[in-house]
This record gives sequence, structure tokens and C-alpha cells, in this order.
Amino acid sequence: MLLEGWRDFAGQSEGIATTELGQYLLNGISQGCVYILLASGLTLVLGILNVPNFAQGHLYMVAAYLGFYMVMSYGMSYWLALVLTTFAMGVLGQVIYGLVFYRMRSAPEVNLFVAAMALLMVLEGIALYFFGASTKWFLIPFTRRVITFAGLAIPLQRLIIIVGTLVVMVLLELFIKKTTVGAALEATAQHREGAMLCGIKVTQISAVAFIIGTGLAGIAGMLIGPAVLLEPTMGMGPLLVAFSAIIFGGLGSISGSVLGAFILGLVESLASGYVSAKYSLIFVFGIMILMLLFRPKGLFGREVWRP
Amino acid sequence: METIRTLFSPKAVAWVLVLIAAIAVPPLVGGYVTSMLVLIAIWTIMCFSMNLIFGYTGQLSLGHAAFLGIGAYAFSLITVKLHVGFWPAFFIAIAFTGIIAFLVGIPALKLRGPYFILVTLGFAVIVGVIVLGWIDLTGGANGLFGIPRPNPIPLPGGATLRFDSLLSMYYFILFFVVLIGVFCHRLVHSMIGRRFIAISYNENLTESLGINTMSQKLLSFTISAILAGIAGVLYATYNAVISPELTHFARGMDVVAYLIVGGAGTMAGPIVGTMVLMAVPEVLQVLPYLKTLINGIILMLFILFLPNGIIGWFNANLGRLLKTRRAVHGPA
Repeated sequence: MLLEGWRDFAGQSEGIATTELGQYLLNGISQGCVYILLASGLTLVLGILNVPNFAQGHLYMVAAYLGFYMVMSYGMSYWLALVLTTFAMGVLGQVIYGLVFYRMRSAPEVNLFVAAMALLMVLEGIALYFFGASTKWFLIPFTRRVITFAGLAIPLQRLIIIVGTLVVMVLLELFIKKTTVGAALEATAQHREGAMLCGIKVTQISAVAFIIGTGLAGIAGMLIGPAVLLEPTMGMGPLLVAFSAIIFGGLGSISGSVLGAFILGLVESLASGYVSAKYSLIFVFGIMILMLLFRPKGLFGREVWRP
Repeated sequence: METIRTLFSPKAVAWVLVLIAAIAVPPLVGGYVTSMLVLIAIWTIMCFSMNLIFGYTGQLSLGHAAFLGIGAYAFSLITVKLHVGFWPAFFIAIAFTGIIAFLVGIPALKLRGPYFILVTLGFAVIVGVIVLGWIDLTGGANGLFGIPRPNPIPLPGGATLRFDSLLSMYYFILFFVVLIGVFCHRLVHSMIGRRFIAISYNENLTESLGINTMSQKLLSFTISAILAGIAGVLYATYNAVISPELTHFARGMDVVAYLIVGGAGTMAGPIVGTMVLMAVPEVLQVLPYLKTLINGIILMLFILFLPNGIIGWFNANLGRLLKTRRAVHGPA
């Protein structure tokens, strides 16, 4: 769906192979950014709470709908809606953490997986109830403009995704490396008990990690929403690719999952360009399964998952 | 003496009563309730399948909707396009499901925790994409239709067992539920089942005892997928029409919800969970799209407050309940 429009753009430009390849690569980069935004939130929550947040894609869906109503129904500016949605998602993250994952902090691992799955079902049910099953088009006139550069066509929204992802990732990196809370996050991810012994309040750090995770989903929803059609199940495909990217890049390493997301975005774009958009997901998962067979710890992973 | 005591234990009596109810109730209630019961029976088989791999072996698979779909589609393609008879097609379809599960299990079961779940979920999504996309083979979004009912079985004495009414299909499927239930009970209480349960408690420890956990997990996964394939075949032959909706990964999540609510790792859990979660939306008469919300909320409440499910809670508190009663009636 998302990629079919791209082929049209590629068709408009001169039909020489290099331009076509360049167009697919550009498309892959922006698609990779989509996965980077989701994968970084997932890695953070997985590293600190030990929860594979299956609902991350659905949180991104909820954020996209929130932004849709803010912009389309209340006439807010896109940038104000971006900030408000991110804050709203942060608050939602706090609520979810307090109601579910705080209570389950000493529950067996598998219960956490099931809780994340239940959260996914609840969010999808809420979206079906309040937003309806029909697809919606998040139309923002100025971001529909297409910029042509060196024979490549790129819609402004795609450019916003790429630049926005860069900004968010730099800010996240600065937050983790330069602030005390960031250091506490890293310490908790490395060794939970050790961090507790150092006087780090692990439950508070977990809340921070979960709130950042949902906030990242909020930013992702607002950045990507205007480039795709909104529907209650729109989060599932990107979520699976983002998880594959984490496996591909290696457990617990944000830089690994960013590179993994980038590579899988390119694979998806090239596969849908040269083979078929319908089957591009198969290539993505195929690569992930090959990775698991021959190098289960991923590109940068330290070890295979041992609970 | 011991045998008699086992034979008349409260649990055995309860099972017999449930079986009698399952046989006696459908002719008394209308066709609508019976058709609901057929679906409950089919999803109970799915739940038994999930119970084997998740409840007893401890590996949560979200890909079982794919096995359901593979079983249903394999059976339908063989019967509709190749005109193979019911029973050969039945066994070919479930064997095919088992082989696919074996091949998927080899890479997937090397992984643990969330990664296994993700690979099974990814597998379910791939199967969904193929079923929807390979229109020449699967009919795409239209699905396949004209799937035959089981052939009449000749009985001694000139009578034949026909499967053209709803009630006869119900008993046909109930037969499989009982068969699979007994099979799971025997399997879980055998040495193989003990190994499965050991893996669910601590995989590393089990491996240190000299048990090849990988082959045991693969065995559990394959058997479980074959059971899911049987559920798929039964659904196809009952419904006569199948659509890609059947392979949707959300169906796999529903099964996990049924199992958790009923009680994972218990024999009665799959039956109770499926009954409860499929009956609640019917009783409340909600719109179909609210089912996801209700299932999600119920699952969330159970995993937060009653993670062992209805039967798990019952088993844990049965002794206490009996004890308090004895304390009241016993000598002071």
C-alpha cells in the first residue's frame, strides 16, 4: 500500500536503472527510519523491563489516530499536535505501567508476554470501538508536497520522517549518555540487582523506560501517520519488522537494532521494488530466520537469550 | 479397592458428568446453540494443542493460527481440487501440517523467551500473506468452498452413519475432542509428558539431566501443530467454506487467551476457558468488533489477578476449601 505510491514516483522520473535503484534506496532509508523509531522503543523496554512489548505497534497506531483527530477535527497545527501527542502517549505509558507492569514486576516472564499481548488486544478493541474499522487518510496538505532532487522524488513527509528520526535518535543517545537518569537506565539494563545495590530505584527507572518507549511510539505515530493509511491493525506489520530488526541487530544493543532496522527497511524496499510489494514481508522474515539459523546472537549481540 | 476409589474420585465423576452433558444437551437446545457448541468444540481442540506446547512444555507460540490454516487449506485443496476422499485427505493434511511444524520448529525452537514467540508470530504472518496472495492456489480473499463432509461410515447391521446434519457433525467433532483429550491426558502422564513439564520448569536443569531438550520441544511442537491441523480440517469440513480470516494471527492470540483464562497446564483448562470466553460475547450480545476488547480485558484481568486461570485457582484452593469444611464439622 505504502510502497505502491512510490513506484509511481519512480515511474515519473527518467526510467533509467540507476534512478530507479536510487529511488528504492531512498524509499528504503525512510522505511528504515520507521522501523528505527519503533525498534528503539522496543529495545529500551525489553532491556529494562524484560517485556517484549507486543503492543508497541498498537501504541503507535493509537498515537497516529490521536494526531489525526487533533489535526483534522480540531484544526491544530501539525507541530503542536506532534508535541501534544507525544506527551499524551507518555501519560498513557505511565498509566499502563502503573496499572499493569508495576503490579507484575515480580511475575514470571511468560506472564509479562501475555500481559503485553492482552494490552495489544485491548488497544485494538478500543481503536475498533472509537475510531472504527474503516481506513482513514491523515491528510496534511503541506507534507504532501513532493520534492524532486537529482532525479529522485521524495514527498516532504518522508523527509520529515528521516530528519525527525535523526533528531530523536540523537536526543535519545544524549539522554542516555549524558544524564544521570540515562546512566541509571543503562546500569539497570546491564545488571538489575547491581543497579539496585547502587541505590538506583529500579521501579522508577522502569517507569521512565516505559514512558520513553510509549513517547517514542507517539512520535513515530505522528511522523509516520501522514504517510500511510490509518487503520486499527496498522501497527502489526511495522512491529514485526521492528522486532526482526532487534533480532537481526542483536539483543539489547540500540545501535545494533538501528542498523538492523535500516537494513530491513532497505531489504523491504528493494524486494517490493524488484519482486513484489505483496511478498516483501516474506523477504524480511526470511532474512531474519537465516540470521537466526547461522548467527542466533545477531550482528552485535552478546549472547543468545537465556532466561 | 484403589481402582474403585480412582473410578469414583470427584474428578472422574465430574469428567463423566461433563461428557454426558456434552452428549445429551445439543438435541435439547436449538440449532443456534448447537452451532456455537461446534465452534467451541473446534476451538477446544486448538486449546488442547496450545496447552501441550505452552501449558506443559512452556513455549508460548503465537503461530498456531497458521497451523490451523495450513491444516484447513491443505485438506480443502486436496479434496476440492484433487478429489481425494475424506479420510486419505484428512491424514495427508495433518501429516503435511506436522512436517511444516517440524521444519519451522528446527530454527524457531533454538530460541527462547520472547524470540521464540516472535518467530512463531512472524511465521503466522507469512502464512497469512501467502494464503491471501497466492490467489491461483488458495482463492485469495474469497477463500475456498465446496469442501466435502465426511463420507458415511457403514455400521454393522446395514445402518450407515451419515454426516449431513448439524447434530451429526457436532457428534463427529465431539468424538475428536474426546479422543484428543484422552490422548493429551495419556501423553502428559507418560515419561514424554514428564520431560515436557520438566522443560517448562527449567530448561537448563532438564538439559543437565541428560535430556535432549531440543528434540523434546520439537516433538511437543510437532504434536501440538498436528492437533491444530486436525482442528483446521474439522473446521473446513464443518463450515464447507474457508477464508484467509482463519489464518489471521489474531486467532492464535485468541487461543492463548482461552487457555490462560481456563488455566494453562491443566486438563480441564482448555475446555473451561474456551466455553467462558466464547460464551461471554454471546451472552452479552455484543457487536463482533467488541469481542477483541472484551477478550483483551478479561485476559488482562486474569493475568494480573488470577494468572493460573479458573482451573488453576480451583486446583490450588480445592484442598483449602475442603479443609475448612472439615474443620467446621470435625471434632473441636
